Parts: sequence; structure tokens; C-alpha cells
Amino acid sequence: MAKAMKLRQQFPLVITLLLLTLFVFIPMISAFEYSIRTPLEGGYGWTHYLWAIREEEFFHYIFRSGWLAGVTVLITLIILVPTMTWLHVSKSPVRPVIDGISLLPLVIPVVAFAVGAQISFPEFVQNTVFELPFLYFVLSLPYAYRSLDIGLNSIPLKTITEAARSSGANWIKTISTVIIPVIRSSVMATIALTFALSIGEYTLTVLLHWDTFPTWVTYVAQDNILGAIAISMMSLIIPFLILTTITLFIPERSIQGRK
Amino acid sequence: MLIVGYFFLFPIFRLVYVSFMSNEHTFTFSNFETAFKDPYRTGFLNSIKIGIFSAAIAAIPGAVAAYFIETRGSSKLRRTIAVMSGVLANTGGIPLAFMFYAALGIQGKLTQFIKFLGWDIYAGQFSLGSFVGLLIVYLYFQLPLMVIVFSPAIVSLRKEWSEAARNLGANQFNYWMRIGIPLLFPSFIASFLLLFASGFSAYATANALTVGNLPLTPLQIGGLLDGNVSASQLNLGKALGVVMIVISALAVIPYLVIQRRSARWQKL
Repeated sequence: MAKAMKLRQQFPLVITLLLLTLFVFIPMISAFEYSIRTPLEGGYGWTHYLWAIREEEFFHYIFRSGWLAGVTVLITLIILVPTMTWLHVSKSPVRPVIDGISLLPLVIPVVAFAVGAQISFPEFVQNTVFELPFLYFVLSLPYAYRSLDIGLNSIPLKTITEAARSSGANWIKTISTVIIPVIRSSVMATIALTFALSIGEYTLTVLLHWDTFPTWVTYVAQDNILGAIAISMMSLIIPFLILTTITLFIPERSIQGRK
Repeated sequence: MLIVGYFFLFPIFRLVYVSFMSNEHTFTFSNFETAFKDPYRTGFLNSIKIGIFSAAIAAIPGAVAAYFIETRGSSKLRRTIAVMSGVLANTGGIPLAFMFYAALGIQGKLTQFIKFLGWDIYAGQFSLGSFVGLLIVYLYFQLPLMVIVFSPAIVSLRKEWSEAARNLGANQFNYWMRIGIPLLFPSFIASFLLLFASGFSAYATANALTVGNLPLTPLQIGGLLDGNVSASQLNLGKALGVVMIVISALAVIPYLVIQRRSARWQKL
């Protein structure tokens, strides 16, 4: 009886998941089928994947996109965690203003932002690839801010910081050894979001004339379309696997905050 | 804060400022006048249309999916879906274009399957670079986005409310008509507006799929910025950018207001 009830409850969920799966995987699998075709010999094989991995530029660009994304994550954490902790603890009147600013990137279409960036930075900024992480940071700001905000709201932040401070920890120590571990699930979510966003960013990068992994794929597509499909598949599946593993292995939030 | 100011606010102000400049650095409205004439006018209309349609089509299935996943799914499933939606909502550009060429292109798997069933979708005007084609492709990231932005609203629907309604004699239908839908409606509209902004400003995917046959504002700006398109007004691209910001702001600001308001009662 109870089992039948449960089945009835699960039924709409199963249908939903089934439809979503079809919707998501039909294009993905079709593309995958293309990527393992070997037109010369007929049949299937991993030719294009092997080809991609053998390309020198493959690792060059993966590495480049990887470290750009890494730097973006670092910038995001270094800037946001202390600032937001301070905002939450001090109950400063500027907080609503900053809340508002943090959401502004949602309003600004990336294309418009790229135009603005191109006309306003001096040469020496535009000539270094280091401008990208800062711009990626801006793009991911609304998501990163939100997820850290939720984390900080759910813990008794004031008590924790006061305890840490009165035990003799300075601010840096308080943040790195107390606050970050306590809100680790939202820190991890922030890392995942920021990383995914920066590694796949295309619009801003291409409009500012930089080359990263996503723009390289576009370039490859011009002369080896099947190889480019193979690379695209990897660029979708790999982050997905990494992020899923991360989220499934992090324990659920141990402190259930006030709702 | 300084970094945010320099890398974010400064470019935007500068963009607005420069958009009012003529080629000789004098103040002018002429950039905006051109921005509202063809082909740019068509670009805006198309962009707005694709924003509205893709949001409208994605909103309801996305909301329903979010509802079942949040209320019936296990915690592991919910987290996997969250990650997946995050990745999918960020897909775009060439990878997304490939997937749809493989599925719905002329030689695509799905195309052949539908043809097998007796309907040749390529018999008419259809192509992936057309408005309808682009619309279908946009759904691929709009739907996951809807799941992401709408899920928090579902979580805030308390079980107690449905139980209370049932105790007062309401059936499932009454509950939804009187409580569920009115409570979720503001968040639903808010999510819709956000989806609109996302479809309106998408660049990478449109760039990969169209070959200049469908005027869309983001593409026009990109073209002007790259210098592919000659324009007598140097700052036209900036004016287009400012108009985009205004349109997108008109959509997102109500979203933020609604979010704040519903956040207030969700805390009670």
C-alpha cells in the first residue's frame, strides 16, 4: 500500500526527468555520434578525439583557459569573502547599495559591456591577458554574491567572528580558518559557478580579441568540423563530470540556519 | 570595491558618455537616431521578439520541472540537476550550435527520424539560422535557466500551507487556484523577465548559427566593434549598447524588485 502511494508520488517526477533527459541528450548524443564517425574508413572510432589531443594548441588553450578561470576564482574569493563578511558583521548602511551593484551585471548585456571595456581601459590594461579574469569576475559577480550571501546569512556570523577575534585571531586568520570552512558549501558553489562561467566565456573574450579555449574551438571548426565537434563534446562533458563529482562529495550543510 | 568600480562601473559610464559623442567629439543625439532606424530597428525588434518567445516557451515547462524536482526529488538528484542546469544554462556558441546541427540540421538525427515519420521539416523555409531555428536552440539554455531561477520560489512554498488548506477542506485544485499559483506568480513573472534578458542579449549562439541573414542587435554591435561593418558614425555601436542596456534594465529591474519583495515574506 505504502509502496503504491510512493510510486504514485514519484510518477510525475519520473515523467519530468524523462522528458528533460530526452530534451538534453538527443542533441548531445547526435553530436557525439558525429564526433566518433571516421569518414575515411567508414564506421566509428576515436580518431577525432585523438587528433584533438595531439594538437599542440589543445593543451595550450586548455591550460590557458584553466589558469584564467583559476585566477578569476581567486580574485572572486579574495575580494568577496572579506568584503561580504565585513558588510554582514558591521550592518553598514552601504550594504543595500552594494547588494544593488552586485546585481547590475545581470542588467548589462555582455556585448554592451565588451564595448564599454574596449573604449575605457588604457593600453597597458588592454595589452595584458590579466584584464580577462577581472572582467570574468564582474560577469560572475551576481551569482557569486548571491551564493555567498546565502551562506553568510545561514550562520551566526557575528558570534563566530567575535569568538575568533577574542581568541586572538586577526581578520585574515578569522576569515581563512573560521569563516571559509564554516560556509564551505557556498564557497564551493561559488567556485564551481565562477569556474564554469570563466572557462566557457566566449562573447567578451572574442570581442576583446583574446584567444582562449572556446574561441579556439570556433577557429578549429573552420577546417576540421568533426574534430571541433569532438572538442566541443569534451568541453561539455568534462566540466559536467568535475562539477558533479564535487557537489556529490561535499557533505550537506551541517549547520541548518534560521530560515 | 575599487576593482569593481574600475572594471565595471567605469566602462559602463564611459559607454554611456561616448554614445553621445559625434565623430568630432561633440555632443549629439544622432547616434541614437541612427540606432532607431533600419537595419538596427529590425535588429532590436528581432532581439526583443526572440527574448519574449524563448522566455515564454521555456517558462512553463521549466517551472513545472522545477516543481516536481524540488518537491519529489531526493537531495542527491536535486544537487545533480542543479549542477547540470548550471552547466547547460551556460552552454552556447559553437558547441551548442554543433549539437543542434547534429540533431536538427539537414542531415541531423532528429530530422531524419521526423522525416521517417513522414514530415520533412526542411520542406519549407526552416533552417537553424532562421528565427524559429534559433528559437529552438535558445530553449536549450533557457529551460535550465528557468529551473535554476524558479527553484528557490518552490522551496519557499511550505508544506504547512498545503496541509492547512487541506484541513480547511480544499482539494488539490482549490489549493492551486487559491494559494499555490498566486504565491508563485510573482516569482514566475520575475523568472520570465530574467529569461527575456538572457535571450535578448545572447551573442555567442546567434553568432555561431546565423550567417548574417537574421539581424539581431548583439550581432550588429559585435560587427560594428570588429569593424566588419562600415558605419559613418564611429560611436553607433556604443549607442546600440546603451539602448540594449536600457531595454534589459526595464526587464531586470522589475525582477529584482519582485525578488526582494518575495524574499521579505519568505523570511516571515
